[in-house]
Amino acid sequence: MESGQGALNLAEVRENWVGIEFDWATFDMRTEEMVEWAQACGEEDPRFVDPAHPDFQAHPGYTTHCMSGRVLPDGFPQIGGGFGIDGGKSVQVHAPIRPGDTLHATTTIADVFDKTGRSGTMIFIVQRMEFRDDRGELVSTVDWKMIKKA
Amino acid sequence: MAEPRFFEDIELGDEIAASQPDVTMENVKRFCHAAKHVFERFVDHDAARKEGFPGAIVPGIMSQGLLAAMIHQWAPGCTITSIDTVFRGSLIVDSKITMTGAVTDTDETKRCVELDLAIVAEDGRTGVIGTAMVEFPS
Repeated sequence: MESGQGALNLAEVRENWVGIEFDWATFDMRTEEMVEWAQACGEEDPRFVDPAHPDFQAHPGYTTHCMSGRVLPDGFPQIGGGFGIDGGKSVQVHAPIRPGDTLHATTTIADVFDKTGRSGTMIFIVQRMEFRDDRGELVSTVDWKMIKKA
Repeated sequence: MAEPRFFEDIELGDEIAASQPDVTMENVKRFCHAAKHVFERFVDHDAARKEGFPGAIVPGIMSQGLLAAMIHQWAPGCTITSIDTVFRGSLIVDSKITMTGAVTDTDETKRCVELDLAIVAEDGRTGVIGTAMVEFPS
């Protein structure tokens, strides 16, 4: 459930910051790292571990390691305490990522909200990275939930 | 790889057989190398303890990858179109962790299923929960 006062304060943060792009980066997709990632995850499907497979591609969550240079935009208000903890990642796979692709990532604030439970109020800041290939096709979206104590 | 599984074989409530992935230090280091994610808390038990953890912890993004591999093992040839994981607690490197999954929804038109996912730590705590959408080939 959302807290009353916190929700009011966060409404202004949402209004001012959600949807703002604040970081841009490129990432080169390399065969060896794609295979090593998949194998370490216990993957056996040749689409992910055999570079000779005609449909060879990156594992579904591969873009989650592509870190943005900045966690929050310059000037983002100090809400909650500390740096925050990693609350999880959500990945949408729009198209296969191939070796040799260069991915162009843009980072935005996707949402800011709070929840109150038995341990108090927690603030969730959702950072979204969208990855496009050289043709401009959206191939992956990663939402990262940063959780901070209110 | 396992035998093919077809969309027509799937029923609501079907469970993915529990499995125990490799989270030995050697394998976690391998993952961290691929992910360029080499923080001490993932690859050094003593350093992790100094940060307040019981031991080195499995990276959250690796736990998501382990679940994705489990899904591909369950349904070879399927396509994971989304996977969403929530990190609820630490999973310790060199421990025995258990992955599970279950079908919570099916869509005949899109030939896709929704899965609930979980990873339980050796001491019984739930470390990761999540969901995934999985498409089956025609």
